[in-house]
Amino acid sequence: MCCSQQLTEKDLQPQPMQQGYIDRIRGMRFFDPHVHMTSRTTDDYQAMADAGITAIIEPAFWLGQPRTGVDTFRDYFSSLIGWERFRASQFGIKHYCTIGLNSKEANNERLAEAVMEILPLFIYKEGVVGVGEIGFDDQTPAEEKYYRAQLELAKEANLPVQIHTPHRDKKQGTQRSMDIAIEHGLNPAMVIVDHNNEETVKEVLDRGFWAAFTIYPFTKMGNERMVDIVKQYGSERIMVNSAADWGISDPLAVPKTAALMHESGIDSNHIHLVTYRNAITAFSQSGQINEADFETVKQIDQSEKFNGSTVLRGGQQPRIDKNAIIIR
Amino acid sequence: MEQPYDYDRNGVSALLYAIIEQHSNSQSRDWLMQRSNVLQETKSVQQFNLTFSAIPRFTGKDLLTLPTGIISNLQHAAHGFFVQHYTLDRLTRTWWLLQWPSDNRDAYVQTVEGLFNAAEMNELVALYGALPLLPWPQEWKLRTAEGIRSNIGTVLEAIMLDNPYPARYLDEPAWNQLVMKALFTEKPVHRIIGLDERANARLAATLVDYAHERWAAGRTVNPMLWRLVAGFINEATMPDIQRIWQSAENIEKDAAALACYYSPYPPAKALLKQSPRAEQDIIKGALSWSRVAEKLGGN
Repeated sequence: MCCSQQLTEKDLQPQPMQQGYIDRIRGMRFFDPHVHMTSRTTDDYQAMADAGITAIIEPAFWLGQPRTGVDTFRDYFSSLIGWERFRASQFGIKHYCTIGLNSKEANNERLAEAVMEILPLFIYKEGVVGVGEIGFDDQTPAEEKYYRAQLELAKEANLPVQIHTPHRDKKQGTQRSMDIAIEHGLNPAMVIVDHNNEETVKEVLDRGFWAAFTIYPFTKMGNERMVDIVKQYGSERIMVNSAADWGISDPLAVPKTAALMHESGIDSNHIHLVTYRNAITAFSQSGQINEADFETVKQIDQSEKFNGSTVLRGGQQPRIDKNAIIIR
Repeated sequence: MEQPYDYDRNGVSALLYAIIEQHSNSQSRDWLMQRSNVLQETKSVQQFNLTFSAIPRFTGKDLLTLPTGIISNLQHAAHGFFVQHYTLDRLTRTWWLLQWPSDNRDAYVQTVEGLFNAAEMNELVALYGALPLLPWPQEWKLRTAEGIRSNIGTVLEAIMLDNPYPARYLDEPAWNQLVMKALFTEKPVHRIIGLDERANARLAATLVDYAHERWAAGRTVNPMLWRLVAGFINEATMPDIQRIWQSAENIEKDAAALACYYSPYPPAKALLKQSPRAEQDIIKGALSWSRVAEKLGGN
């Protein structure tokens, strides 16, 4: 989730495109365990596939403005396991999601109760790899109540938990999130604490949780800082994601970070772990990730000819030339 | 009194279970039996839903290769229900839908509508594919029309291809929507069951308009479209048939010849006479709509 930040004139100027990093990561595959594709365009899907992103997790979150009824939650959850999953498959990307009531909207208690009632309908679905993103925003009593209730739900369903840590009062909020998870008897190995930074990472790792880092311009981590973190802490239980959404964010943050790590001389095994393998290890504890599916979703037969022109079976999207002035 | 099933439900359920039994291990068979017992004891919607969702975790998702005998037994038993290209989880979900008590019409519909409303992609495919087997067949017409509005390719295919439900139960506007959308989304239309039987003048007119739009945009027209027009060629559409008759593409010429052959309209018959060879090919079976479909590479 984005929030405002002081921008300078320089941040507002158009910038030249540099695609050179793609060469550094050619042939590598990536797993982005936190990206809100609902808010992104098909151009993003195409660019992600081109950059080697093989699979993604889309956590349920808030949509920028509060919902007013349980039916819009139902439709949102159902789009995460239906339409968005299909949309990703058109670009050869395997789409998973986590389902949960986000912290902001937990503050509307009447609505929150109704959402809690429909959650069991969704968390047992195929391809739902966790309960998330849940946790604290303002750290209100209502947020705590539904965070706790959802931890219980995750425990019962034996699903990993994806924790959103707050923007404000982050360090304390992160500690509290972990304390409560432990209090509810969750195994830290089943909990992915997201949006870490230099201030939170040590404790998260020391207590046995997974530490996820969101590479998100202006408000969260930058990838130069991420390089330093991996240099300092290594790759065990660390993963990076983009959390790209409707804000100024970058769905290519994971491959770009891999390229920067490569450039900075970080060992390729570390890069592999933090940009691919660790996220799979953490979330496949749901029993819902089968790596063979990454290949299946790519098997989009482009060779079928129809009436002399190529038809993209399985619903794959044809490419358009972005630089052409002519649109056919 | 109206019966829930318009076919032998017990027989079909047994046929489906025999396939499941043969293709799964003892662990998943035990699980299914246990789930089935729980359902019979509790009649709990939640248990029914959870099992429906959890099925792939126990059965796996392997594609089934079934002997033609079994496929045709099921076709005969249930108005053409067709289990080609099924995965084991999809078949098991189909079977599971028959295990919910059907005697209370409203309760059955409400429960299964609940599954539709919270379904993920593969569940939707299983649900729509199972339409020909669901009890109270009149109840699923709106649901089917809704499904045709889907943009998910596999869901559309589950409704449109090899599925006998739409031709049996959809009213004309919904049926026409199905055929239009199948052409529009480039589905292999020859696999729509009841395509010729349910051809109608309104559909033919819409499709001809659609062809004109495609031509105006400089795009090609699926030659199979003319199969739906054939029975309704008239003065207004005859120039279009002449146009494809003179096409540079052989496959369009083939479509023109077939359309003329199946048309009762005398000028169309006369046009076909101009190519005795094409007419002979059609009579001998060397040229047919299935051949056109094959050439198009439809799967």
